[in-house]
Amino acid sequence: MTDHQKDIVLSIVILLLAATWTWLVVSTIPPGFGDGDIGPRAFPLAFGLILLALAAILFVSSWTSGRAKPGVLGPPDETKTSFTQKIHWLAAVLLLGEIVLYGFLLEKIGFLLATPVVVVLVMALNLRIRSVRHLLGMSLGLTLACWLIFEKLLGIYLATGTWINLR
Amino acid sequence: MELFLQAASVALQPMAIAAVGLGALVGLIFGSIPGLTFTVALALALPITFSMEPVSAIGLLLGTYIGGMTGGSVSAILLGIPGTPSAAATVLDGYPMTKKGEASVALGTAVIVSVFGGIFSLIVMIVSVDLVSRMAISFGPAEIFALVLFGMSTICGLCGDSIIKGLISGVLGLMIMTVGLDEIEGVPRMTFGSVNLLQGVNLLVAMIGLFAIPFIIEAATDKMDLTSKRVAKIRAQMPSLGLLWSKVWLMLRCSALGTGIGAIPGTGGAIASFLAYDHARRFSKDRESFGDGNIEGVIAPETANNAVTGGTLIPLLSLGIPGDPATAIVLAGLMIHGITPGPALFMQHATEVYAMYVAVVIAYVWVLGLQLIGIRFFVHVLKIPREMLAVTVLVLCAIGAYSIRNSAFDIYAMGVIGVLAYVFVALRVPITPIILGMVLGPTLENEFRTAMMLSGGKADIFLTSPIALLFFALALLVVGLQVASELKLGRNHQQKVKV
Repeated sequence: MTDHQKDIVLSIVILLLAATWTWLVVSTIPPGFGDGDIGPRAFPLAFGLILLALAAILFVSSWTSGRAKPGVLGPPDETKTSFTQKIHWLAAVLLLGEIVLYGFLLEKIGFLLATPVVVVLVMALNLRIRSVRHLLGMSLGLTLACWLIFEKLLGIYLATGTWINLR
Repeated sequence: MELFLQAASVALQPMAIAAVGLGALVGLIFGSIPGLTFTVALALALPITFSMEPVSAIGLLLGTYIGGMTGGSVSAILLGIPGTPSAAATVLDGYPMTKKGEASVALGTAVIVSVFGGIFSLIVMIVSVDLVSRMAISFGPAEIFALVLFGMSTICGLCGDSIIKGLISGVLGLMIMTVGLDEIEGVPRMTFGSVNLLQGVNLLVAMIGLFAIPFIIEAATDKMDLTSKRVAKIRAQMPSLGLLWSKVWLMLRCSALGTGIGAIPGTGGAIASFLAYDHARRFSKDRESFGDGNIEGVIAPETANNAVTGGTLIPLLSLGIPGDPATAIVLAGLMIHGITPGPALFMQHATEVYAMYVAVVIAYVWVLGLQLIGIRFFVHVLKIPREMLAVTVLVLCAIGAYSIRNSAFDIYAMGVIGVLAYVFVALRVPITPIILGMVLGPTLENEFRTAMMLSGGKADIFLTSPIALLFFALALLVVGLQVASELKLGRNHQQKVKV
């Protein structure tokens, strides 16, 4: 996918988001009472409309520049430089899943058990580390170090579990 | 004077000095690791400050900021990879010096001139903040709205290569901050019945997600291995007094340049260091040797990017406008401890402000000591595998996000925002405007609504105030200049393509 195509997709997603936002604002937030009270709806509505306009401008500019370029450059893709990076969707979604799992486990089994589990998962699945020594050392060492520094030294509350509580 | 002495006694408490030192160390380490900027360090350090005294907490954040700004030069000089964007210009002559075997002198000089630039900007800051605050004390809601709008216009300077994408990013930040209970009438907005969303999206959670999560995903996918680059045994060597004296005029010019650039919201260290580098090259007697390891090519950017630190604190403290992501996090830290920057800052928190000045000096003393004495030890940080850092940062992110409200919801929010930030970064949508929108959004809305209520719904209130009109004009000027610059760039690009 070229940069222009990516921008077109991005603008469409933002357009849909802005349209949904605007519709939700109008249907769920009450307007002001007048006499100087512009109400809680005005700003979210204005932001939604501005986003709609900006997404439309991005769409039009990406569309027109994408169509104009081949005429100027001739056959496009051979020499074209991509300024955007490749998006690693799998890695991103995997990490999001692990973060959600971490949040869930923190409340259920507490920091001391949830952390090594998630660290092992991230190292094994995302970073593809297979050495058992590394996996165990890092997960246990990091958990212990964080617990000592944050909970014991700095007095910051780290989650205790509702299912299992080691403290 | 009495207030200053009182502030100094607070800032010179052992705990406060240790907090600044810890911040400087963390900043140096994070700043020196490419990809792991000091903005990430600040976002992660913020939750740690919750349990601290205000002065120690702010000292920790300022130490991290200053240490990070200085630390970027370490990897720039030793590896040819800037640890932070503001150290990018240092690579141009710093790395060639390493190749010539002059790394120790380059590192030592970078530290000394960094401290020089930082202290210079601190002096300018001390003089300016009070003056600007005194001028701003008479501002009403209309003037504050205009001022915040001017602050928002600086999004244009943070847009990168597309002003539209930058504005989209800024508006998204504004939208996020409208989620939750409306501050004036208490009406829930876009909460979908969720109790967690009633308090809105926490600014700190968003910051952690925006800056740290993209690094973790990139570390998992990008196999950039720093350890393959050999980091020789190194120590920082003090430059000779003769060398420093011969370059003192250059240092003064670059300090003034950096402070001035820093005081303009939306600019930052990278711009200042490149401008200073260009300035040094332009006026150098030995212009041809730039790029081959000219010490002036290290002195100029390092002086300027550290002078930015004091410059950015001028609009932050006097007007409450953060100029870059790092100062936005410092602003959040101040507000958490009940210190609201702005025109009334000196009336309400004079002691804390003077203590901050002392903390900045302490931070530079720490940076000087840590870099000159400890560099041979902490240079080994550059050898830590990126994957290990990624896992550590992930756990620190989760601790930071959870500790804000002791809620797993904040960890979920951090994850979602972080993944979106990763996608945005990949699509070259700048994420800094999101932060600016989130920081300034509530004030923008509240002041506008208050002004409208005071005027009985007449918009004249914004047009009859000369100060408000001045800020509107400045905002238009900033946007106009940026649009003109983008159009010019576009035309130049098209001409190049045709040629």
